[in-house]
Amino acid sequence: MSTPAERLAALDAAARGPEREGAILLALEDEALTVRDRAIRLAARYVEPAVLGALVADGEHAVRRNAGLSALERQGPYAVPHLTVMLGASDPELVMFALQSLARIGYPPAGRSILPLLHHADPNVAQSAIEAVGQLRTREAVPALLKLVEGELWLQLAAINALGAIGAAEAVTPLLALVPDSVLAEPAVQALRTIAAPESLEPLLRVLPAVRERALRDPLLLAVAVVIDFHPDPVPLLARAGPELAASAEFVAYLAQALAALPAAGDMDGEGDSLQRAAATLAVAAGIEALEPDLLARLATDADAIWLEGVFHRFPDALAAHRPRLLGHPDPDVRGGVLRAARFEEHELPELYEHLEDTHSRVRAAACYAMGRLELDSTAPLLVERLRRGDRAEQAAAAQALGRLSADALTDLESCLRADADETVLMLALEVLSTCPVPAFEPRVLQLAEDRRPAVRRAGLRAAARVTGARADVLLLRALADRDQATQVDALELMVARGGEKSVAVLVAMLGTSDSLRFHVIRALGQCRAQAGATRLRDLLPQCAPHEQLQIVAALIRIAPPWIGTFLRERLGDSEVEMRRMAAQGLADLAEEHELPVLLPLAEDADWNIRNEVARGLGRLARPVTRQVLLALARDVEPVVAATARAALERLQPEAIRIPA
Amino acid sequence: MTGFDQAELKLLTDLIQERFGLMFNGIRMEILESRLRPRLRELRLTTLRDYYHYLRFHPDREAEFARLPAMVTNNETYFFRETHQFDLLIHHVIPERRALLRDRPLRLLSAGCSSGEEPYSLSIALHNAGLPLAGMSWEIDACDLNPERIARAHEALYAESSLRACDAEARRRYFTQEAGGFRLKQKYREKVRCFPSNLLAPNGALGWAIYDAILCRNLLIYFSEDAFAAAIGLFARSLAPGGYLFLGHSESLLDRKTSFAPAMLGGAVVYRKLEAA
Ligand SMILES: C[S@@+](CC[C@H](N)C(=O)[O-])C[C@H]1O[C@@H](n2cnc3c(N)ncnc32)[C@H](O)[C@@H]1O
Repeated sequence: MSTPAERLAALDAAARGPEREGAILLALEDEALTVRDRAIRLAARYVEPAVLGALVADGEHAVRRNAGLSALERQGPYAVPHLTVMLGASDPELVMFALQSLARIGYPPAGRSILPLLHHADPNVAQSAIEAVGQLRTREAVPALLKLVEGELWLQLAAINALGAIGAAEAVTPLLALVPDSVLAEPAVQALRTIAAPESLEPLLRVLPAVRERALRDPLLLAVAVVIDFHPDPVPLLARAGPELAASAEFVAYLAQALAALPAAGDMDGEGDSLQRAAATLAVAAGIEALEPDLLARLATDADAIWLEGVFHRFPDALAAHRPRLLGHPDPDVRGGVLRAARFEEHELPELYEHLEDTHSRVRAAACYAMGRLELDSTAPLLVERLRRGDRAEQAAAAQALGRLSADALTDLESCLRADADETVLMLALEVLSTCPVPAFEPRVLQLAEDRRPAVRRAGLRAAARVTGARADVLLLRALADRDQATQVDALELMVARGGEKSVAVLVAMLGTSDSLRFHVIRALGQCRAQAGATRLRDLLPQCAPHEQLQIVAALIRIAPPWIGTFLRERLGDSEVEMRRMAAQGLADLAEEHELPVLLPLAEDADWNIRNEVARGLGRLARPVTRQVLLALARDVEPVVAATARAALERLQPEAIRIPA
Repeated sequence: MTGFDQAELKLLTDLIQERFGLMFNGIRMEILESRLRPRLRELRLTTLRDYYHYLRFHPDREAEFARLPAMVTNNETYFFRETHQFDLLIHHVIPERRALLRDRPLRLLSAGCSSGEEPYSLSIALHNAGLPLAGMSWEIDACDLNPERIARAHEALYAESSLRACDAEARRRYFTQEAGGFRLKQKYREKVRCFPSNLLAPNGALGWAIYDAILCRNLLIYFSEDAFAAAIGLFARSLAPGGYLFLGHSESLLDRKTSFAPAMLGGAVVYRKLEAA
């Protein structure tokens, strides 16, 4: 008796020889899972669908049947014609297998051939057919599915799911009829959620407060939230429904509970999270005032709750109506939340000024934030004052707000840039100037870009990068040799962002030094697609360490000089596999149709990554002549390659499925 | 581009698997992505392929490898997770080994303990056990690959999410509330020793044939076949004869040839080291 490892090795060896198919077929029955798995991969690649189909048809040997099916499935679109033939088999089990495989392969054109089976006499076959058209999103199946919704329970369930998966708006009325009082209410709600048709909003809002069991209520709430999201204009409807929802203490308590729900451990699909968001959306959109303080406080205190701000901005009306009351709320976090969430107008500035005097700094910071959103130059003096004297949160909010004003309004910043200014103030002021440069401060900015303190220096550099003229160029240049490595790399990035021929010339010159910065210089040249650096990069290649060499090739691919094709072809002969991969990637990105003869042979390369690049490149070129190669790649032993090839096939014009005789 | 490219992801995960034996099939890609994105930004790299090349060729690659596992492994844990296993330990394992425990303390190991919630829960359970433990002393060893987690275990200061399975009563009894969260009371921290150790490259910190039971929960799911086998081999060596291994609910030794025999205890499957092994 050999061990699985030995049999695995024997299989791999045989797969390279003339006895390949026999060895693979035998290994499909191996008792060890690892051996069978390998055999399945190899079968997908080397055994024809008809042969695999025969294995599957022979119902005697369950292990082999399953292995054959897995291999067929892995062949993807290549196996579709054969699986379609199997749909006509007399053995209902075989038909079911074929249906399930077609569904999992997910090649949409296969859907039409399934339609006749939707009303199959064997309910198991019919069910599999219904599920398959759902997964393949076959729109032509909708009329038949609608009829099935009236039929027998099991098929009803499958039909509902399929209609949901297809997103069939025609199904809204029959589905709503099942909610809340049928055994199928929950699947119907799930389907309504995926269909997300605007006309379902009103009826769903009507049932939601009436249903008490959470098993149905939670899905209903999620459905409502999704429908609101996709609705072109949900506001009038929600405004009408609001008072009634708010009046039901039971319903409000339910929403509060949903809002507090922590996502459970191992909550893989994030359903707990979605429930929270759904509850928040409904509470805000319908203006349920009792829940607003909690939501606002959460917005003010929890950095992960920033999404709430978006919800309030999307549905501003209710908050606007309750604003005066909420701004006087005893909890400072609620006040802070309102200032962040509500919209203010210019004439309401005095109200914001009042909150600049709040006893709580978080509220004051939120007031700065709200002022910033108005983008009014007249607020500059007060904001500068906060920047200078506020506490941390206020300072940061004030700086952010100042960055949104015009340069003319920023003259007051002068006081923040003085030599005796506090370091934080100085840095924040520089940050403002890096978003909104002010010519009057340029000399001071250039000075600060050479400050002794590294943090100030870096902030100064960022601001200096916005200053035009040679002096700033020189500064950045000098910073490339800064004693602080982070500053060096910053300077490099700032130079690239500044652009211009001069910086390219500097970068090219820096290629001569062989320190750790060169790695970044190479990348930077790629990023600015500097044609002028191309030949220098190429010539540097032999002298560099491997990590730089790969970056050089990557940079040249971005620059794409006229000789790139030849250059990449040479790299394909490299002994380092990463270099060959990089070259293949370049060809996949850049090759033109006449270079197909270079690309196509690589489809047989021993390295999966190179085959993957070929599939990607062929997808980009989308030439029908490459269909056969792509079909072979679509059943590659490596699933990633197969997936890429399938995506590429979808970009070719779909071809009618040819049924073998 | 949103999301990592699948091929690039495979390059990286294959490399990680080759190096550490960790398997990533089970990890949500978004998690991997959210953990690595900030690091790429720090290194000023753009794509995952850049990062892969960095790990393969950059002069600083060894330092990067050293911090990688901590970045990509799942640390998720909380107090009183799967406590029925503690009951099994107290009501079945300890009574069975009572005779042995007359002259030495009960020794337990929490392997892959993250920030300490598991060994500390165990300690609380032992404190509360009453009779079965009367007159007996115990020691709990706890190790994790990630030194940062171990530092947190030493600090024993926990946020709300670690206490998600604790009611108000438990919070009051076992913790003191502080500005930064909930601190485990000192008496439950005594006799728990937390130290860094990689199960796949043991540093000798684990005892040899001394533990009465090992808990290794919710980490073998991320291991490849080979790594799994290596870890099980290590547990077999570290357990005293007849000692027990407790795995997480989605992990199993069934279908594998190991030096453990499955045993049904209180309706659950646990694994007992074969006497001869
Ligand atoms: C998901 S946590 C599980 C924590 C705890 N056992 C529980 O069940 O709640 C997994 C922990 O295993 C650790 N880990 C992963 N691979 C490890 C290895 N090779 N050696 C030691 N610890 C490892 C991780 O650092 C992480 O803290």
